[in-house]
This record gives sequence, C-alpha cells and structure tokens, in this order.
Amino acid sequence: MTGSQGTANRNNATQNSRIADPIGMEVFTNRLLTITEEMGNTLIRSSFSTNIKERRDCSVGLFDRAGRLVAQASHIPIHLGSLRGSVRAVLERFPVETMNPGEAYISNDPYLAGGTHMPDISIVTPMFADGEVRFFAANIAHHSDVGGSVPGSISAGARTVFEEGIRIPPLKVMKGGAIDEEMLYFIAQNTREPEERILDLKVQIATNQRGIQALDDLVRRMGLDAVTQAIEDVLSYTAIRLQRRIAELEGKRGSFTCHLDDDGSGGDPVPIKATVWVENGTLVVDFDGTGPQARGALNVTTSALEATVFYATRALLDPRLMPNEGMMRSIDIRADKGLIVNAQFPAAVGARSITCQKAARAIFGAFREILSEDKALSSGNDDLPTIVFSARHARREGTYVYLETLGGGGPASSQMDGMSAIHVHVTNTSNLPVEALENEYPLSVDEYALVEGSGGAGRHRGGLGIARQISALSDGTIFSARSDGHKFAASGVAGGKDGATARLYRNHGTDREESLNSKVTHLVLTTGESIRIETPGAGGFGDPAERDREAIERDIRDGLITAEAAAVDYGPRG
Amino acid sequence: MYRIGVDVGGTFTDFTVLDQRSGEVSFHKVSSTPSDPSEAIRVGISQLLDQFDIAPNEVGFVGHGTTVATNLIIERKGVPTALITTKGFRDVLEIGRQTRPNLYDYRDVKPAPLVPRALRFEVEERIGADGAVKRPVALDQVDAVIERIKAAGVKAVAICFLHAYRNPEHETLVRDRVRAAAPDIYVTASSDLLPEFREFERLSTTVLNAYAGPRMQTYLDRLSNGVRELGMPVTPYTIHSNGGLMSIPTVRQYPVRTCLSGPAAGVVGGAMVAREAGFGEVITFDVGGTSTDVSLIAGSRPQFTSSRTVADYPVKIPMVDIHVIGAGGGSIAWLDDAGAMKVGPFSAGAVPGPVAYGRGGTLPTATDANIVLHRLNPKTLLRGKLPVDEAAARRVIEDKLAIPLGLSVEEVASGILRIANANMGRAIRSVSTERGFDLSKFALMAFGGAGPLHACEVAAECGVPTVIVPREPGTMCARGILLSDVSLDFVRTRIAAASAEVWDSVGGFFEDMRAEGDGWLDGEKVAPEMRRFQQQVDARYEGQNFEVSVEVPAGEAMALETFLERFAAAHKTEYGYDIPGRTVEIVNCRTKAVGLVAKPYDDFRAPSGSTLEGSLIEHRTVWFNADTGRIDTPVYERGKMPLETMVSGPAIVEEMSSTTVIPPDTRFQLDRNGNIIISIVGGKQ
Repeated sequence: MTGSQGTANRNNATQNSRIADPIGMEVFTNRLLTITEEMGNTLIRSSFSTNIKERRDCSVGLFDRAGRLVAQASHIPIHLGSLRGSVRAVLERFPVETMNPGEAYISNDPYLAGGTHMPDISIVTPMFADGEVRFFAANIAHHSDVGGSVPGSISAGARTVFEEGIRIPPLKVMKGGAIDEEMLYFIAQNTREPEERILDLKVQIATNQRGIQALDDLVRRMGLDAVTQAIEDVLSYTAIRLQRRIAELEGKRGSFTCHLDDDGSGGDPVPIKATVWVENGTLVVDFDGTGPQARGALNVTTSALEATVFYATRALLDPRLMPNEGMMRSIDIRADKGLIVNAQFPAAVGARSITCQKAARAIFGAFREILSEDKALSSGNDDLPTIVFSARHARREGTYVYLETLGGGGPASSQMDGMSAIHVHVTNTSNLPVEALENEYPLSVDEYALVEGSGGAGRHRGGLGIARQISALSDGTIFSARSDGHKFAASGVAGGKDGATARLYRNHGTDREESLNSKVTHLVLTTGESIRIETPGAGGFGDPAERDREAIERDIRDGLITAEAAAVDYGPRG
Repeated sequence: MYRIGVDVGGTFTDFTVLDQRSGEVSFHKVSSTPSDPSEAIRVGISQLLDQFDIAPNEVGFVGHGTTVATNLIIERKGVPTALITTKGFRDVLEIGRQTRPNLYDYRDVKPAPLVPRALRFEVEERIGADGAVKRPVALDQVDAVIERIKAAGVKAVAICFLHAYRNPEHETLVRDRVRAAAPDIYVTASSDLLPEFREFERLSTTVLNAYAGPRMQTYLDRLSNGVRELGMPVTPYTIHSNGGLMSIPTVRQYPVRTCLSGPAAGVVGGAMVAREAGFGEVITFDVGGTSTDVSLIAGSRPQFTSSRTVADYPVKIPMVDIHVIGAGGGSIAWLDDAGAMKVGPFSAGAVPGPVAYGRGGTLPTATDANIVLHRLNPKTLLRGKLPVDEAAARRVIEDKLAIPLGLSVEEVASGILRIANANMGRAIRSVSTERGFDLSKFALMAFGGAGPLHACEVAAECGVPTVIVPREPGTMCARGILLSDVSLDFVRTRIAAASAEVWDSVGGFFEDMRAEGDGWLDGEKVAPEMRRFQQQVDARYEGQNFEVSVEVPAGEAMALETFLERFAAAHKTEYGYDIPGRTVEIVNCRTKAVGLVAKPYDDFRAPSGSTLEGSLIEHRTVWFNADTGRIDTPVYERGKMPLETMVSGPAIVEEMSSTTVIPPDTRFQLDRNGNIIISIVGGKQ
C-alpha cells in the first residue's frame, strides 16, 4: 500500500519464468480446483447461517508456506485476495517454524489481522508434509452478527471499530487436533446469536480439515516436489497471462473521479479517484486525489481495497484469470495512509462495501480511457444499498432482523444493453423471495419492480434499477438504510447518458410522502407505514442517436421508457 | 409381447426392443428428424418391426424420451406467451434473484424473459402468507386483460399470483375465466403445476410450461397418430425428468416436466443395469460429442434435485440430479497466448466434427487424440461406415500443438486426454466426494458414445475401483425407458413450527395428495395393487432458509416425535450436526404417486459368445501413457466375446456404437448379462 511495497511488487513482476510442463499444469489446475470447490461446498452446505449458506458470503483458499495464494474459490469478489491478509497476519504472529500439526488460527480484525470488516471471520490451518509446514488451507465467512452497537454489527454511523463487535487478533483456536471450546464460547457470547456462531465456526474449522486432507492425498499421489513444481507453473502462467494484457496498455494513462454522497455521518461528498497506468510492466492503480478517511463506517482497509482492485482488473482484462499470487504480483496499489481507501486504526469499517463499489466505479472509469472501446463498460448501480427492518417477531419470542441488499442497473457495453436488476462489482447476493419474507416477518411487500426510465440512454441502454416497497405490519418497526447514489448518477460512456439516481421514500404515493437520505438510522415506523427504495440505473453506451429504432420502440412498448422521454433522448420518431 | 423404448437425441433416435418371452433385447438406430421428431420414431419403429419380424399387435408398450420441450425453450421456439400476475410484481420474471450469472464477465448475461414486459399483465388481488384473501380479484381488470391478450395474438397464458401455493382460489378463478373467454389459448396456473413457495422459481416454471405447451401438443398428436397408423394397440408413454413415465394427457398438461427426459432415463437404466450386475453405488458417466453427464446413484436409487435450470431458466420440478459439463469427444484442444494447453469449452460437435472424420473439422479434438493413439480404430468406425483419416489428425495435432509446445505428437495427444479426463474427474468428485460420498465404494458406469473410451483413466484419476460398460452403451437411455415406472410428483407448502396441530394438518395434506395421486393413476389406468406412494416432508430449523427432506411412510401414522427424531438424524447426515431443542419448521409436503410397470425381465440376457480367440479382430499398437509408450494390444469384437472369462489388460473392445479402452494393470470380464466389468488395479487410493 505504501511506496516501499510498490517497489517490491515491481521487482516481483519482472521475475518471469517459463512454464515447465504445460500439460501437467492444466491437469494439476483441475486437481487444485477440485480441492477448493470441495472446501467451498463443505462450507456452504454445512453452515447454519443463511448469510453463508444462501448468500454465499464466504470464500476458501490454499496458500503455500510463504503465504502466497495458490488457489481460491471466491464466491463474492470482495473476498478475492482478502484471505491473504489473514494468512499474512497469522504468519507474523506465529512464525511458521513454531507451528505444529493439529493447529488452526482464527481472526477477524481489519487492523490486527488483515481483515476487511469485523463480521468476516477467518480460519487458517497449516498442512504438514515430511515434518514441515508446506501449505495452508484458509476460509473466511461473513457471520450475521459479531456484537457491537447494532444487530448485524454494521452501522454507517459507527465511529470506531470498537463499536463494530468483538475484535479477534490471530489466535490459536485449535491445538493438538482439539478445538479450544473456551475460546469459541468466549467469542460466541460476545455476539447476538451465540449458538449459530459456534456451529458455523466449527464448520469453518472442519472445512479446512477437509482441504488439508485433500492436499495430503495430492502430495502422496504426486510427490511433494511435483506438487511444488506444478504450483510454480500455475503462478508463473497466471503472471505471464496477466502481463500480456497489461503490456497492451503500455504508455497509456487513465483517470476517473466519482463521489460518495457523504462519509456516512452526513457532510460533504467524498471524492474517490483512481488513476491507472503501466510502469515497468506493472499495472499501477493509484488513489491519489481520493478523500480522507471518514468519520462514519465507510472506510476501507488494505485487504478490502486489494480485493476491489483485483476484482476490477480481472473483470476488465481477463475474466477467466485464476485468482492467485501470480495475478497479484503484477499489480501495484498506491494509496496514502489516512485516505478513505487506506483507513487507519481505529476507524470504523463496517460499511466498507459502499466505498469499495465506488472504488470499482473509479477503476472501471479510469480503464475506459485506456482500453479499446469493445472492453469498456459504463457505470452501474455501484452502491450496494442495504435496508434493514427490525421489530418483535409476530409468531415467536424475540426480535427479528431482516436485511436485504439490492441490485440495480448493470453496465452497458459496445455489444449490448446493460442487464437490469443485478448486483455489480464486489457482491452478488440473492434476494429474499417475497413469499419467504412475508412468511417470516410482520412485513408486506407492496411492489417489486424495475424503475421505469432509470436506464441511461445510449446506443446501448444502461440496465434499470429496482424498486422495492415494504410496509410495516406492526408498530415500532425500526428501519435503517445504508446506501448511496442519491446525488451522483452512474455515468455513460462514449456519448451515452447517465442513469437515474437512487431514491428512498417513506410513505411513497401518500399525502405523508417523505424523501429520505441515503443513510438512515433507527427510523421508527407504525403499522401501515411504508418504505420504498429505488436503486440507480446504469449509464448508457454510445450516442443515443445511433440506437436501433426497433430497440427504442420495444423499450416504449415494454414501458421501460415513455414515448416522451424517448423523443427527448433519442429524437423524434422517424 | 414386445416392449419398445425410444430415445430421441439430437443426431440419432435410438430404439431398444425387449422380447418379453425370451428376455432378449435388440437395438436399432435411425437418424433424427429435428423438424418433426415423431417422424424418426415412426420410421424407426416401422423398420424394426420388419427387421425383427414383429407384428404390430404384438407390441404391448412404447415409451419414449424426448427433447422437444427442452429444444423449444433452448431455441426460443415456443409460442407468444402472456403472463397474468399480482399488481406490483410483473417484473419478478425479469429481476429473478437479482444476481448476475458471471461474477467477472458482464458479457455473460441473464436470459431474456420468455414473456416480454408488454405482455406481462397485472391485476389487483392479494392473498396473504396465511392464505387469507387480503384483496379480492378485480374481475373487471381481468376481463380487460383477457381482451388485450386476445388482441395481441397470444397463444398461451401463464397465471401466477403471490401465495397461490397457499390458496389457489384466485388463480383458479382467473384460469377458468381465461378458458371461458378464449378456449383456444393454452393456460397454465402455477397452483396447478407447482403449488410450492418462492415466487420466482414457481413463476419461471409456470411460464416455461405455458411457453412450450401448444407446440408440445402438436408434437404429441403427431406421435400418437404415427403409432396408431402403424397398427400398434398402445398409446405411447413419455419419460419425464424424475425418471418416471407419464401418459400423453399428462404430458399435454405438464410439458415442462419432460425437460430432462432422455438423460433421466439413462440414469434410471444405469441404476437398474448396475443393480443386476451387483453394484448399488454407481456414478453414471455419459460422454457424448459435446458434453458429459454425471450422476450419482446410492443404494440403487438415483438422486433428485429441484433446483435445475433449462437454458438458464429455473425449473423447480423434481428431476434426476445430473451434473453436466461441456467436455466430450468433440472438445477442442488449443494453446493460449501465455503458453498453456486447454481442452474445451469449445467443441467441434458433430459438424464440423473431429479432423479425422473429414467433415470439415480443422481443429484438433479429443476424438482426434484417441485416433492418433490408436485407442479408437485408426482406419474406420461404425463397422466400416465411417472412414477415419489418421494422418490428418496427426498433422493437425503436430502443427497446432506439438510443434509450438516442443513435444511429440503422442505426448500432446495423451496430454489432451489427460486434461479432458481431469476435467471429467472434477465433475465426478463434485457429485460425490463434495457431498460426502466415498468414491472407493463406487463403480463408474460408462455409456454414451465416448464414455467407455475415457472411463478407466477417469476412474483411476478419481480413485474409483471398478468400471462397468453396459451392452450397446450408445443406447442406454432407450433401455432405461423399458425399466421405468409411471410416476408423478405432488407438493404442498405449509410453513409452520412443527406442533401437534400442524402435524395433523400435514396428515391432511398427505391424504389430499394421495387422493389426487389416485385420481391421476386412475387416468393412467394403473391397477390398484400396482400403486405405490412415497411421501416426504421438507423441514428446517427455525432461522434457516433451506430444507432437509425426511421420508414419511405412506399409509401409516407417524408420531410427531418420531418425525422430529428422523429430521434430526437427516440433518446430521446431511450437514454433520443437529441442534437438540431448537424449533423445527415444516415447509413442504411431497408425495410421489407411482404405478409399477410389469417388467418380467429386469435381467436382460446377453447372447453367449465363442472363445476369446474367436473374438479377436486384430492386434494394434496403442499408446496408453508415457511409461508404456505404444504397446501391442489385442482388439476384441464385443458381441463374440465369451461371458464370465477373466482377461488382463491392455485390451480394446469394439462394438457398433462404442469402443472400450482397457489400460494395462487392469483385469476385466463380461458378466452373465454381457456388461464389461473392469477392475482398476491400484484404483483404491
């Protein structure tokens, strides 16, 4: 993150080696993926929480003795490479020579343990062969609560990490093959759902055991030397492959600035600026010009920023690139300490995803200036809006917490219109079906629809945002929101127009209608009151005048735009 | 009497004929006729009646597997379809689960909804989660919508209202009104097809059914006429996605249930053939030209899932759980610009096909590698009908791959197969070890044109100790149809904590579904003593959003306590733990109504061959791996091989539709039913 690390990265990038055995490497890659897929499957299948099981907010990875990422099955991009921080932190606190078979390590803290926010708890387990640590199996999962001031542990208004739940530095959670039950009990009792925490943490530990066993089988079958050589081949291959894409950008430089509406505690918009260029074969992504760290929880630490940059690079340059150290060694991320994208202890970081989405928007924007037109994408709903309802359960004891993140307009490209109603960038979680929601909570969904007219005009139209309107069926329903994009629209490319901005209403369409800010904490609703969220549409691609007339007519027929708006955006019907 | 099984594939339509008196099976094959698939069925049956000298009135059963509904969806050739849904929710079809299909590639898009937004109509009505009517249907709006639907020239209508699984009243009302006003329009209401909660999946399934309905009816009419014209006193059955048979009236109503028709039959057939051979734990491995289907059978029972997609559209119907990957004989090997060799996902398919087939293929495929290594006959295939150009295959592998990589042609060709096998092995592990099954206890049942070519090395890669190659492995799906029962699945959703009162209502649901199932079996003309019912309850712990299925015996009362114990045990098996004391929620009740079909010979007999020497065609030099190099290998004619005689590998076994590659360090024999059973030495790891 600092200048000195950047230098180290550049040196790495020049170490191009050849692939020793291309056929063996491809066979080996399949075997590696078998292991990470098996681990990922174990974690998802066995976990209790909906968050891990249905939303797949988790990832698994394999590392070598030096802490280099060898393979990762990443279910959402915010975890891409973010396990590296956990492994690095474990190795710093527990030198590899001091480790013993049957141990495993737990951590979550963004500052003490390379985490991205407190709910993401990592488990790292060393794998031994011939009496030495050779590899690590690691996994990370988003726990639905880790304590702190609000249910779910994320509040845009939190001031420090101390408000965001229990801080876990790297700790030995398993010794001699036995789990430290006292430690799990202590951690679990610092959260709102202790029973579920213990179940899921045990599943995480078991997931790594599964990975270790599969690695052990592989080493016994192929021999340690052959495995080590194949790993070098995989990392070199990935590095060479990405360097070829990077080399095509030599001599070009692109820059883009976008804005957060505010820093989570109100106040002025915060600029996020990314500049990208190639320097000695390394891709530099520099955030100079980005605003300072926030008072609220929109801050991003090292691991989350790295994940965002790796995601954007992969999406734009080579979507099928394998995530491993070979990819990461060609990328140099520069962000001064104290920026919102390189926050310092003890800044709160719970709502980092909103800022990560904006960082991705800035990187996508900067790349537009240096990529060929067929690879450029317009901006989309780069916000990750989250709404939370909470009240007493209708049918049983206790309080429910219903949390939903919403998709919106997807980016348009030179080849096609943007997809409507999707998640973009660092997340991709499913919705909760209306029928499941109404069975579970005293809430009623009034509408779940596309936001008409929200896609930016262009040769290819931006995707449309989502409208979701929910009414409270009980008094004292507490509503919170953390979102963005009310002030700044998703921009178009190559003459395409901007998408519509986001909106949040209380009692929409009634005489009590009230427009709300993008961040809302603890709004109390009475029975019959409603909340309506409209997420942003994406920008368009290319000159609207070049849009196919039949596509315009189809959009009018489908009610995606009105005939009047079409006349303004695309010109009168010919 | 004779029974005929038919599987309509993309290239060929396969037939299996069972003589019920002798138990002997025969096989036949004609080219498919994609514009009207019933044509190939009619022609093929007519030919085989002649060829095997069967009088039409001696045919007691015709069953078929069909891809008609699937192709209508994949090729977007269904009819213009409208949707009537709850006000505020017409975009659910387009929003889906609000996820993008590929995390990193925005050019990988969600499929366009089969009903365009202009034909998605909303009416005011609302049922609550408890089934109570919160707002009655606005009938004037319904009538106005019907007028617009008629004016738009729509041929089918899907009706899906929120919580209709709980109370179908509104859907039924609107369905009847549409039918009365527009009798020519095909109508599907979600509560008739799939009364199960989670609106997007139910809606998607309902729309697919309506979309495919009218054209499927046309096809079924042609098929029935064709069979009748041949003078056979039967109405044809269709195999559907759960591996069971349905009569034509049921298929007309539920065409979407046939989406996985042929492959499901293959798995059912594989399970039965393996059971006869003494193997209950089996992975079926069906390798075709462009794809490989893998499925797990435990205790001789196929596994089911209801979370599959067809052309990326969710279909929430119980289906045989088949994992499909894009690797097959036509998979193309290529080099990327960073120096790696890849196999697939691109495929040369049947056209232009492998280079060696001389149909215009110019890129090296897995089949070309098999020819260069002499695993496949390097001169001709299909009993001389298909000439093979080995030199062309060598040349393309050399030019495109071997020279750039600095390797020999054999090294590269065997590399192509190693990569393809590793890819297939990954698919096998994903249906087995990833779900907690131990592959060392399984056998790999290889079929499809290319399955037996790859099976032994894939088994070794995965640690599977045994490979089974059934007779005529290219026609397994047609054979499976002869082994299937009549069946249909029913479901009810009731989400509630499992109390004594709720458990009583569960009993009521099962009674209802049993009555419904009996009614359906009456229609299928299944005698009462041949009826079976299977029941299960999907349940979960409070706070979970996914369910575990628990079998509940049909026709006897089960105490709530027993159910809760079984749920805990099932949860533990599935996920590794249970949670004593935590509230259990009932979610779905399911009934499968089964009509057993008389199958006098499960045990298909194989004609006995002569001696091993008598079945030897030739010796050829086959390359197995870098250690063996090319070695002299006997090639046997399968139909002439003696039964129950142990032989050591290496060997090649050829037959009309397939070639089995048996590497060194293995032993094999034909069992009494003619299956090749191969023991992979060192397969257990």
